[in-house]
Amino acid sequence: MVSVVNTVDTSHEDMIHDAQMDYYGTRLATCSSDRSVKIFDIKNGSQILAADLRGHEGPVWQVAWAHPMFGNVLASCSYDRKVIIWKEEGGTWDRLYEYDGHDSSVNSVSWASHEFGLLLACGSSDGSISVLSCLGDGTWEPHKISNAHTIGCNAVSWAPAVIPGTLMDAPSGPKSTPVKRFVSGGCDNLIKIWREEDGQWAEEKKMEAHSDWVRDVAWAPSIGLPSGTIASCSQDGRVFIWTCDDPAGGSWTPKLLHKFGDVVWHVSWSITGNILAVSGGDNKVSLWKESTDGQWKCVSDVNKGQGISSGPDETRPEQ
Amino acid sequence: MKLKEIERTAHQAWSPAAHHPIYLAAGTSAQQLDATFSTNAALEIFELDLSDPGFDMKLQGSIKTANRYHKLLWSSHGLGSGGPGTLIGGGDGGLIVLYDAARILAGDVEAELGQSVRHTGPVRALDINPFQNNLLASGANDSEIYIWDLNNFATPMTPGAQSQPLEDVGCVAWNCQVQHILASATPSGKAVVWDLRKNEPIIKVSDHTNRMRCSGIAWHPDVATQMVLASEDDRMPVIQMWDLRFATSPLRVFENHSRGILTIAWSRADPELLLSCAKDNRILCWNPNTGEVLYELPTSTQWCFDIQWCPRNPALISAASFDGLLSIYSVMGGSLSAQSQRQVDMISSSFGNFDPFGTGQPLPPLQLTQPHVPAATVLPLKKPPRWIRRPVGASFAVSYCLHGTQTFKMCGSLPGGLVQSHYVYVSQVVTEPHLLSRSAELQAAGHTGHLREFCHAKVQASIDPLEKDIWSFLQVNLEPDPRSKFLKLIGYNPDELAQKRPWLHVVVTISAIELSISSYSFADVDGLIGQALLVGDFEAAVELCLGDGRYADAIILAVAGGADLLERTQERYFDKSSGIGGTFCIIKVSELQDEQALSLSFLVDALGSRLEMEDGGRLCAQACLCYICAGNVDKLASCWDGTHQCSDSLALQVGMYPAVGIFGTNLTCRLVICLKIRLSFNNVATGNCTHLRNGDTREQPYWIGLHLLHSCQTSKNNIFSHRILAYFFSISFSFSSSTPPPMMFILLQPAQVQPPEKIEKRPIPEEHASLRIAFDGLVQRCLIAASDPQTKRKLDDANKRLEFLYDKLREHSVSALSLVSRDFKTRNVNVGIYFKNIISCLRAKMPSHLELL
Repeated sequence: MVSVVNTVDTSHEDMIHDAQMDYYGTRLATCSSDRSVKIFDIKNGSQILAADLRGHEGPVWQVAWAHPMFGNVLASCSYDRKVIIWKEEGGTWDRLYEYDGHDSSVNSVSWASHEFGLLLACGSSDGSISVLSCLGDGTWEPHKISNAHTIGCNAVSWAPAVIPGTLMDAPSGPKSTPVKRFVSGGCDNLIKIWREEDGQWAEEKKMEAHSDWVRDVAWAPSIGLPSGTIASCSQDGRVFIWTCDDPAGGSWTPKLLHKFGDVVWHVSWSITGNILAVSGGDNKVSLWKESTDGQWKCVSDVNKGQGISSGPDETRPEQ
Repeated sequence: MKLKEIERTAHQAWSPAAHHPIYLAAGTSAQQLDATFSTNAALEIFELDLSDPGFDMKLQGSIKTANRYHKLLWSSHGLGSGGPGTLIGGGDGGLIVLYDAARILAGDVEAELGQSVRHTGPVRALDINPFQNNLLASGANDSEIYIWDLNNFATPMTPGAQSQPLEDVGCVAWNCQVQHILASATPSGKAVVWDLRKNEPIIKVSDHTNRMRCSGIAWHPDVATQMVLASEDDRMPVIQMWDLRFATSPLRVFENHSRGILTIAWSRADPELLLSCAKDNRILCWNPNTGEVLYELPTSTQWCFDIQWCPRNPALISAASFDGLLSIYSVMGGSLSAQSQRQVDMISSSFGNFDPFGTGQPLPPLQLTQPHVPAATVLPLKKPPRWIRRPVGASFAVSYCLHGTQTFKMCGSLPGGLVQSHYVYVSQVVTEPHLLSRSAELQAAGHTGHLREFCHAKVQASIDPLEKDIWSFLQVNLEPDPRSKFLKLIGYNPDELAQKRPWLHVVVTISAIELSISSYSFADVDGLIGQALLVGDFEAAVELCLGDGRYADAIILAVAGGADLLERTQERYFDKSSGIGGTFCIIKVSELQDEQALSLSFLVDALGSRLEMEDGGRLCAQACLCYICAGNVDKLASCWDGTHQCSDSLALQVGMYPAVGIFGTNLTCRLVICLKIRLSFNNVATGNCTHLRNGDTREQPYWIGLHLLHSCQTSKNNIFSHRILAYFFSISFSFSSSTPPPMMFILLQPAQVQPPEKIEKRPIPEEHASLRIAFDGLVQRCLIAASDPQTKRKLDDANKRLEFLYDKLREHSVSALSLVSRDFKTRNVNVGIYFKNIISCLRAKMPSHLELL
């Protein structure tokens, strides 16, 4: 079921922290503790190093591709407290913008849906979240949310621009503007949903289920179903699926996907939002899918870096 | 960055790592007095609530105790039974006392589990074995070291003979890797390592300078043979790192403090972080593997005498200082500006009526000098701590699943023993290969035009009789003369029917006459109409309809029966009803003239509806067959949906896909399918069905989108094509995006060649043209009159709605064959309602321009 189609030798000299494909699935951006960001062209099964971006002075934690309608734009965040937005122009990559408004490690960057323009959320260990928006004239305006998560924000993820339930609405109904929302998770074990109102960011919802640091949050892509879905994972080994059937976004209910025996670092939704990839501290990636009766089932267990597929792991240690 | 603060002069102990939420216990320090000169002692438990931005910590439990403490520990002993564990305090006079943390939290004064005064002098050295949480090591004066079993606290054992000369034991520490190894250190600078299995000291570590006065000892969390010793001596304020494999001189000496070191603490979460606090008021964080100072905590102007890492939250440390504060810091840095102001406010207010000595007079107003804030920003550790070094995980990309590499840990004993792998793996995930192959098969059949053969093959391969039926019916649909073959399939022989016809005609006519004369309520008029239509006797059918008062049906059937019959029926209709509503039917009839294939569809469709209604849905499968015959995909979908709701996630696809593929030439059908799919998405939300969410990574929306797009292109209906694109590519692909991904590009290419905007819209059918003129004029006039932007926006919206309505009208002008007349009528009625709505909407929005309407 899972097969390795490409093995990319990144030649990073230290631990790799993130790897993201671009919109077309033909370019791969990686970042590492060796302070570099690398971009590979992986067309036709081969890999060519397209760029080696140097500029960070600390380990680079995450990279994020912007929508291609803005050109080839990549954001990276680092322990050096900086966020750098890179842009390819005429085959060469340059810094488009550098943001140094954080007082501590910037752990996560996430681009909003392209409908909102170039809009980047950054979560930092200083407890704050910055929302950087590109104004039309090429300047950038940061909005800072102070004290978003005490002792640190670990992850940010935007809500899709599709309004929940639009798939069911009458096609002639008046078009309402999607609300800008994102979810964040932090060292205070909390998950928070933020919403923009009159240009200001306000905490819309505070959600508590994890008993340790929230390591990652991921808002599922939407095709306009009436419910919103968020996945969260934590140091405590638990992965929760949060759903909200209320179009106003008021009530979210958590459902425990699984309790893993080790820290869960990363959750990622498939493009259509129906498969969740869970990456744990035990070097394993498992794929989860919702069955017809609403239960989440493990459909595949993959040791990182191996294409071997296996059935659901029934003997996974419960704690 | 300081997070919390408690005003206590106390030793502290964090709750064990396994315990949630995080508590901090504080036991009043011995040999320290505050300005109140109070000699009370207490053991208190505070909860750390990071969601509260304030500096205060909530007191969760407290007991008054007889003794003050030199050392406090929180063991996870007893944690397994659900309690928060055991608190262990070391006091003056050789006292070791155990408390049940659960009872303190419950407010129970009798929280003490046991105590012993076996030691001599103050008990300053205490440590819990990291492997067996019931093993407690303690040290006091006269070289006394005891090992206690918390399960049997009465009699301790000794690790060996007391070392000579007799000295105070200042600190003890269990090895982090080997559970029977214990180290102790004395103020004279000697450290002894004990092996509890041999019951003797195995090595003595001592610096030749003889200046070390050990105030702290700590084992390396990962390397079994390494430990550090801290010196309290102001002349030698150093930390020595020893490796027992080379125990003649220290491996490294860390020099940065200017006065004696009071305590050290080694992080369990990251062995490259070692805290030390000294009499120079500084708290430093070292990398013990390099000796580099990674961090200096912004502290008060007082010594810290106790410092601890939080076992559960690796970024937190607690520090107790002699100025009576217990503070919790984060080593992750952060901004102090907001907090320092809060601190000033808090201090000013708390000193407002402060009268500590009970003199009856408040102290003179305190001239609070603005506390010196070293810098608004506290930099984080120079080196990222291990706990935020997240390994790369798997992230999904377009039609790929991306698997990252991971650093592999080597045996766990090398310092920083991480070996990096620099590969990233790109993997593909296919979740439903079965469905994928099926859809490919059908698509191939559709492209090559071999749908009939495809159906035939399916009939051959089917085991389930229902499935077989469905495929046979679908196949017949593709045959040259479907009607007669359908009849054959149903079990009628057209020849026999023809023979029966005269006889049947008589029966039917008689019944009809009976009906019309006596208004005799015949139970099965529908059946008779059906039979009449089946044999092609429209006249009888019309008769029956008229008899039953179904004028609309009668007229529609008469259309199929020829001009003559129609005329006669109309006449009779006007005879029977002088109503106004009838005119509507007559007008409609003119539109239906071309729908010659109506009768069979109508008949079978009606039969299907009846089957569906009857027997509580038991005959739904048969109803589905009827709908297939009638080509009524709309009803087929809803019926299919109803029967297969919970049974099979693929059911809708199995049922619908052939239908889409075969009836797919008709745009309306496809739009109906689209609607059905939307309905089934609705079911997803309620948990009943996840038809389409359970697809593979090449998701169904794509191929549905492909089909719909295809139809839209052929019909040149840009409104729908836009909407459908919006539905199915809204995930991340957009029609407006400058460069769609390759797969999408193929799909979109034809659309780009023929941009929908340039397609000329059909003229509105004549009968509706006047409406358009009226509405457009109305909106124009309103626009001229409207002054404020809000109204203009609303008018814009109204314009869009009207445009949509016109499109509907256009669509009707090419009315689909498969749409049965009833649906058609309803739709027209809806259009009427829509008009009314728009007018009322306009009225409501613009009362000032009402006269224009």
